This record gives sequence, C-alpha cells and structure tokens, in this order.
Amino acid sequence: MNSISKYFSGLFTGIKSLIYGMSVTWKELWTKKVTQQYPENRKTLVISERWRSELTMPHDENNEHACTACGICEMNCPNGTIKVTPKFIETEDGKKKKILDTYQWDLGMCTFCNLCVLTCPSDAIQFRNTFENAVFTRGKLVQQLNQEGSKLREKKKEIPPKSPEGGLKD
Amino acid sequence: MILNYAQPLEVSNLTSWLDTFLRSGLPNFWVLFIEFVLVGALLLAAYAIIALILIYAERKITAFFQARFGPNRVGKWGLLQSVADMIKILLKEIIRINRSDRFLFFAAPFFMIVASVLTFGAIAFGKGLHAIDFNVGVLYVSAVSSLGIIGVLLAGWSSNNKYAMIGAMRSGAQFVSYELSAGFALMTIVVLSGTMQFSEMIEKQQYCWNIFNGHISSMVAFVIYLISGHAETNRGPFDLPEAESELTAGYHTEYSGLQFGFYYLAEYLNMFIIASIATVVFLGGYLPIQVHGWDGFNQAMNYIPTYVWFFGKTGVLIFLSLWVRWSFPRLRIDQLLNLEWKYLLPINLVNILIMVILVMTGLTLTDLFPGLF
Amino acid sequence: MAEKIIFYILAVLMAVFSVMAVTSKRIIRSATYLLFVLLGTAGLYLLLNYNYLFAVQIAVYAGGIMVLFIMAILLTNKPGEKVRTELPVRRAIAGVTAFAGLAFCAHVIYYNINRVSELVTQSEITPQFLGHTMMGTDKYQYLLPFETISILLLACIVGAIMIARKR
Repeated sequence: MNSISKYFSGLFTGIKSLIYGMSVTWKELWTKKVTQQYPENRKTLVISERWRSELTMPHDENNEHACTACGICEMNCPNGTIKVTPKFIETEDGKKKKILDTYQWDLGMCTFCNLCVLTCPSDAIQFRNTFENAVFTRGKLVQQLNQEGSKLREKKKEIPPKSPEGGLKD
Repeated sequence: MILNYAQPLEVSNLTSWLDTFLRSGLPNFWVLFIEFVLVGALLLAAYAIIALILIYAERKITAFFQARFGPNRVGKWGLLQSVADMIKILLKEIIRINRSDRFLFFAAPFFMIVASVLTFGAIAFGKGLHAIDFNVGVLYVSAVSSLGIIGVLLAGWSSNNKYAMIGAMRSGAQFVSYELSAGFALMTIVVLSGTMQFSEMIEKQQYCWNIFNGHISSMVAFVIYLISGHAETNRGPFDLPEAESELTAGYHTEYSGLQFGFYYLAEYLNMFIIASIATVVFLGGYLPIQVHGWDGFNQAMNYIPTYVWFFGKTGVLIFLSLWVRWSFPRLRIDQLLNLEWKYLLPINLVNILIMVILVMTGLTLTDLFPGLF
Repeated sequence: MAEKIIFYILAVLMAVFSVMAVTSKRIIRSATYLLFVLLGTAGLYLLLNYNYLFAVQIAVYAGGIMVLFIMAILLTNKPGEKVRTELPVRRAIAGVTAFAGLAFCAHVIYYNINRVSELVTQSEITPQFLGHTMMGTDKYQYLLPFETISILLLACIVGAIMIARKR
C-alpha cells in the first residue's frame, strides 16, 4: 500500500513540478535580452569602473606623476610584467636622489591581478577600464607608462584623489 | 459541411485545375506520371524548406528562452542564416573513416532520411494537400517512422567509434520503448474516431476536436503522445543519445558534410512530423475552428485557408516542444526507461480502457451534447 | 505496364539481396541485406494494394524484428568480424538443406500458380473487417487462437523476468 501511494504521489508531484518549471521558463521567455552586440553598441557600452584592463600612471596638468621609483610594484608583480628603471640625479642642495627614468609595463604578460596598484605606497599607478587593447605585434604590447619629460610631484602638494581601486591605506 | 462555404484561397482549386488541364490533352498514364513526379518533387522541396524554417525558428526561440537574440547577422533578423548554413554543409567534405564498415556507413543516413520522408508524405497539409492516405494511415505512420532507428543503429556501429556506438544503443533502447507509448496513444484516438484513415479522422473532427471529444482520456493520450514523440525524436530532456558532455555527438559523431546534414534534417523534420501528426489526430488537422450554429463565424474562419490552420496548429505544438526542451534538464538513461515503462505505459493501458468505456457508454462530448458539438 | 516494371525491379532487388544476405561474411551486413529483402516484400504488398499487410510487414519485420536483430548483433562479442568458412562436410549439408527448401517452395509454387489469380482478385480487406475477424467467435474467426497466443506471450514475458531476476 505504501509503495502504491508513493507511486501516485510521486506522479502528481512530478507533474506539478514540471508545470512549475514550464511557468518559470515562460516568464523567462519575455525577459529583456541581455546580449551586448559589441561593435555596434560602442557608444552606449557600459564597462564597470573597476574593470582592470590597462595599467596607467596618472599625470597631472604639470606633467607630474607620483612614482618614486621605489620598485615595490616590480617586486610584487608575479609575472615580471613591470620594469622600473631608476636614475640618479643630484638636487640643488647637493644630495643624490633616485628618480624614475622609465616605467615599462608588458600588457601581454599581465594577469591584471592588481597587486602592483595595491602595494604602491604613493598611489602612482592605477588600472583603467579601456579594454580595446588589441595591437598587431607583440612589441607594441610593452608600454612606457611615464610620459616624456615628466617628473616627480613635490611632497608638499596635497595627495591627489585616490583611484576607486583603493590602496593599502584603506 | 465545410464545402458549403466559399474558400477562395485554397490550393485544391489550383490542383484540380491542373489535373483537368493535364487530362484534357494527355493519356491517363502520362497524367499520372507527371502528377506523381510533381507530387514527389513538391514533397521533397517542402521537406527541405520546412527544415530550413524549423532550424531558424528553433534557434530564434531557443535564443529568446535564454534572453539572447539568436541569429541576426545574415539577412534581416538573420532570416538567411539557415540558408547559409545549408550551403556550408553542402560544400563540406564527406570524410572517410578508417576501418569503418564503409557500405553501412554510407547507407545509414539514407535509412533515417527515407523513413522521415515516407512519414512526411502521410501528413495532410491542407485540403487537397495530402499525398498518402491509406485506410491504415495511423499504422502506416508508426510503421514507417520506426525504420529510422535502423539508420541510427547502423550509423553507431559502422562508425568504429565507441561514443557513436553507445549513443546508438541508447537511442535504440529509447526509441523502441517510446514507440510503444506513441502507438498506444494514437490507438486511443483510433478507438474514439473509429477509423485509422487520416482524412476520415479529420473529417470527423469538424465541430469537436478529438482532444475535447474524448475529454479526460484524450487529454491524457495527447500529453503522452507529445512526451513519447518528443523522446522518439531524441530531443529536449530526452536527448541523451547525443549528450554532448558524455558522448560528444552520439551516433552521428563521425559524420560530416551532407551525411551529417541528413541526420540534422531528419531530426528537425521528425519534430515537425510528430507535431503535425498530433495536430491531425488530436487537434482537427487542417480544419478551421467551427461552432454549430454560428454561421457568420464559421464563414469567417473558412476564409482562412486550411494550410494556414494546419501550420498554425503545428507551429503551436512545435513551440510547446521547444518550451519543454528548454525547461527541463536531461534525464538519465534509467530515469528515461523508468518514465516509459513504469509511468507512461501503465497509464496508457488504463487510458485506452477508459476510452473504450467512454465510447461504448456514449460519454464522449459528441454523444452527450449532440446539438452543440 | 508500370506495375510490371516496378514488380521486376522489386523482384530483382529481393533476389540479389537474398543471395547477398547469405553470402556476406559479416553478420551485421547480412542483417542489413535481409532488411532490404523484407522491405522489398513490403513493396510487393503495396503493389497488390494490401495496405494493411504492407504496414504490418514494415512495423513488425523491418521496424521490430530487424531492430531486435541488429541490437542483438551489436551486443554480441565481435559483430564486425568476418565469419570463418566452414568445413566441406558442413557446407555440403547446408547446400543440400538449402536445395531441399528450394525444391519444396518450387513445388508449392508450381502446383498453386493457377490459383493465385483467384486469390489476388479479392477486394481489399478493411481494417474493420480484420479487427472483427480477430475478435469474433464465429466460424473462421480468431478470438481463441489470438488469446492462446497472448497467453503464450505472457508466459514468455514472465519467464524472461524470472531469468533476468535470478539471483
């Protein structure tokens, strides 16, 4: 008797659940399409602010950046993507000082792990969401992030507004 | 009857005109010959065109169920996508498989497509658009459609590939099981309408479709027929012969080009055939909706040509099949056979008994309300 | 005219495929050739306007028994292997048996060929008539044999279940 009632209850609960499932898909049929038709919708395309696709070094209007060439980002990069080349100059008061010469970043090697940005003590670099990075040769993937003739921002200036990535201080 | 109303858009006007035209100038033999060739060519053309439309419709509806757009690049709304796919498949190389049984390997797709086309011929598309009308039509359809499984089994074996082999064996077990249920569901309606001929069956459903005429029993038979038909075509939740995750593509893994195209075509057309047989048997075939006494309404309905009614009803059933397909997860092989042998078949047997009682005791709707239906 | 052409095509096909079915070295090919022969037979029925018999021939033989054959063959150990040639004695016995069968069939056909015309001229049997004959209890009706066979089949099914469930 038990098995018979089990058979019929199983049958009817099965039918009920099937109908419920079909009602769910029926509602799904009329939902808005989520497909992004990419090349056509470039104008309206919304890429999340936090999307990491290109490492940049923000420069202000005086062509100054915040990189002290400390090399922490280079040390923290798991792939050896970043290459910081410092150079030594003599300041007016006769001290030797290490400043940034070139800051090279290889997009082809980067895994976009964000460790460099997190560990940078002076928030000199940040990731941007410009994702159209395709180029024709691998050599072009290696980019120099510091602009020509740029120099280190003076200490007394107030710290520029931080990137949405946040730093270690947060 | 239906002939009392004007039907200006009907194809039967054209066909009868062609027949009288041919008979006026030619001996009987040549008239028949020309008409046979014409009917054959038209059926094959319809087969291909319906397959193309179905593939497009399936891809679109599938996309809508998944909140996508579906094909929308080739032509307006992607209308030419399936044509492009067809051209691609025709141009592809037919690959020879090493150490396969070549004769059977080449013969297998033909079994599939021939069975499908033979069944396709028995469908009444509209008034006067009915190629094969045996007095044992229902039996003919279930007999001929069972030939396709031989193509599947031979394909699986001759491919010299274990995935294909396992897929073919699963498909064989599934098809043989569900063929039984489909046959019984059709037999239920044969009991109700008292004929196996499709044209007679349609004529009898003018005011009351079979699905309403036999109320409970017919509804159950309809649902069972749809489920088992769905399983026979290896689609939807029952597509485990070609379960991609475990069997690559099942029995047609090794096929390419036109041969794969045959299987593809036959699969889609079988979906159409199942839907159209369900239309003919349960939903009144090509007949428009008619109500006793509402002459104006009947007249208006009759202005819509019968083939539109047929394709409309079939389209609804095909949509239902796609809806089911995208609602439920794939069954396991033991669940599949359980469903057939422990649920559908016993229910079916009881159902056919109930139908016999309904017909014998005069409890069908036409018997209960003779003026209404 | 057209019927004759179709008949000869079917006859040649059936004869060729019968021979191929017995001479083929691979058992699965034999099964396929046999299927063609059965389909040819169905075609002959269709030519005679025996629609019911045609449908039953395809449903039972082509769709049912051949599918079972092929599935059974696929489940055997090595379905693709070529059958070995038998010993001369066995071949001789097989040849004699085949010849005896041929002689028997030829005898039956030869002495009944004149009666074929009267058998064929019967009008087509409707499925209704067939059903009533199958289920009737009058003279020349078949309810008893039908039920006997169904009991036999039931016994077979029960036996199969017993064998399958043996622990």
